[in-house]
Amino acid sequence: MPEDPYSLADLARLADVTPRTVRYYVAQGLLPSPDAAGPATRYGEGHLARIRLIRRLQRDHLPLAEIRARLERMGDEEVLAASAVLDPQEPEPSLVAQDTLDFVRTLMRDAGVRPTVATPQSPVRRLESMEAPAPRGARAPSLPPAPAPAPASPPPSVHSSPGPVPESSPARTAPDRTTWERLVISPDVELHVRRPLGRQTNKRVDQLERIARELFEDP
Amino acid sequence: MTHNPNPNLDHLVDPRLIVRPDRYLIRANGRSTRFLVVEIAAPTVAPDPSRRRPPVNLAFVLDRSGSMGGHNKLSLAKQAVLESIHRLEVEDRFAVVTYDDQIDVVMPGTLATPEARREAARRLAGIEPRNSTDLHAGWLTGCEQVAAGLGAEGVNRVLLLTDGLANRGVTDPAELARLAYDLRRRGVTTSTFGVGSDFDEALLQAMADNGGGHFYYAGDVAQMRDHITSEVGETLEVVAREVVLELTLPDSVRIDSLSPFRVEQGGGRTRILLGDMVSGQLLTIALRLTFDFGSVGREVGIVLRVADRDRAFEAATPSISSVSLTWTYADTNANDVQPRDVEVDRVVARLFAERAKQEAVRLNREGRYDEARHALDGVRRRVHEYAGSDTVLRGLVDELSEEQVQFAAPMPEMARKAAYFASSNLSRMRTAEGKSRRA
Repeated sequence: MPEDPYSLADLARLADVTPRTVRYYVAQGLLPSPDAAGPATRYGEGHLARIRLIRRLQRDHLPLAEIRARLERMGDEEVLAASAVLDPQEPEPSLVAQDTLDFVRTLMRDAGVRPTVATPQSPVRRLESMEAPAPRGARAPSLPPAPAPAPASPPPSVHSSPGPVPESSPARTAPDRTTWERLVISPDVELHVRRPLGRQTNKRVDQLERIARELFEDP
Repeated sequence: MTHNPNPNLDHLVDPRLIVRPDRYLIRANGRSTRFLVVEIAAPTVAPDPSRRRPPVNLAFVLDRSGSMGGHNKLSLAKQAVLESIHRLEVEDRFAVVTYDDQIDVVMPGTLATPEARREAARRLAGIEPRNSTDLHAGWLTGCEQVAAGLGAEGVNRVLLLTDGLANRGVTDPAELARLAYDLRRRGVTTSTFGVGSDFDEALLQAMADNGGGHFYYAGDVAQMRDHITSEVGETLEVVAREVVLELTLPDSVRIDSLSPFRVEQGGGRTRILLGDMVSGQLLTIALRLTFDFGSVGREVGIVLRVADRDRAFEAATPSISSVSLTWTYADTNANDVQPRDVEVDRVVARLFAERAKQEAVRLNREGRYDEARHALDGVRRRVHEYAGSDTVLRGLVDELSEEQVQFAAPMPEMARKAAYFASSNLSRMRTAEGKSRRA
């Protein structure tokens, strides 16, 4: 991006030195002479980067002669690179689509994420397994989520057990994968609901929740 | 203005960059803290029938865990998704992923043709609530779908919806936030939607902040639908992606942001990542600068610029150039009597208040009511000290007095989440309902 050239005053302010110091550095051969002279004098990013570098090297107790010797050999790119080493920036990753896709796929592979992808022909078809790691979503009894800290203790039958067969859903749930949801009615009263449920049952639970909340509302 | 090779960048008008320091003098014989308010207005798209907005590339990632069966959450989420898909044009892309502890790519990334939209409706109809919540895997799968169709222009985004706690796969908020950031830097942004009382708003907020998108809280299904609609609508209006406020400062000046945007430093620059901006969007950011000692009369300067990935700010008319700001060292007396910009005080006070509110939400949830009250009272007292006769600042003092009382007693989780969401929006300069502010 094009940078605005700086006046002597701007440069001094940005570098936190006095204009006199800038002129001194130029006189000492630490900074290249700026373009033009007098009120129209313009300095660039290279000047700013050089002054920063000079100040850092001074803080490291290098004598001016030594600093000059180093800077003399450096073009603008090298000065900016030297600043970058002292003040690193995370490199910008590529925005090339394939790189991004590869990055995501690596994350997925490392985490064992294997989605089932629908195709035009059928709603859901399992992808052929190509990798060894145990897939996520394997048939294992799932425990309900750990209860949040609460005074009430969970209901006795919280272990996995065959649940009611969902009424209308075409996807039959494996009975050992139900979980319990806690619906808070009031600070002291909770409703525990095993999920998933069929549509009708869900509606009744909603109704029960509504009524229960009304019952326990403050008068 | 030189000819712009990208016709989408024609007809962008009125960007703004306005910078206001609270004071212009700094102490010669001490450190000084000064505040800066930066107002940025994204360019507005001037009406032009020949302008085509860049296509968007979205992936809807829906939680289908068992609890989504309550209150019709899943049905309404599906409906909201279908409504959003119908607003897309044929050049736009969408994908639909559902997750519980298994991930299903219901619609792989596809152009939004009429056939694709019909097929999406058919397939979504068969999705019912099921098991537990592998949010990480669902989200990554959405990222894959977006990455597979990554558009060079336009928004590429995953819209992740959940009603519960991530309880499978990677669940650590810091790790998920880091991943969201890695994806964002590679062009895939993330917005998050939390429904009901059980999800972790800190997690979803962190994923959205790091992912370059927005977090939304829905207390009920109507709000969920509104938020999904609003977010998709805004992706269609993005005019500048990855807007960055870039500052050049002397090494001796420390800077931090009071606004909750990501700050990166390096290469002699400080960059504040503001994310994508929609046509005419207004963002106000507050920064805090710390100056060292200096000699009376010496000047310290900074330069501010706005840049974005698409160079929309650069291409807009009139183009905004960088802004330079200067502070001058002066003695104690001069410092004490200098005027303050009260508008800066107002913005800064508001941001401190919102930070305290978000802290109070956390403390209240943990039952630490006294500390919650104390957090709000601390800010109230400080604002009161410099409020003087300013009506806005005094209003804020009153607001904090009321809220202290509220947070010092048990609150229902819904109320806490609603308070958090409103506060989060205000500190990001969005409306309390989660929409961008416009000029």
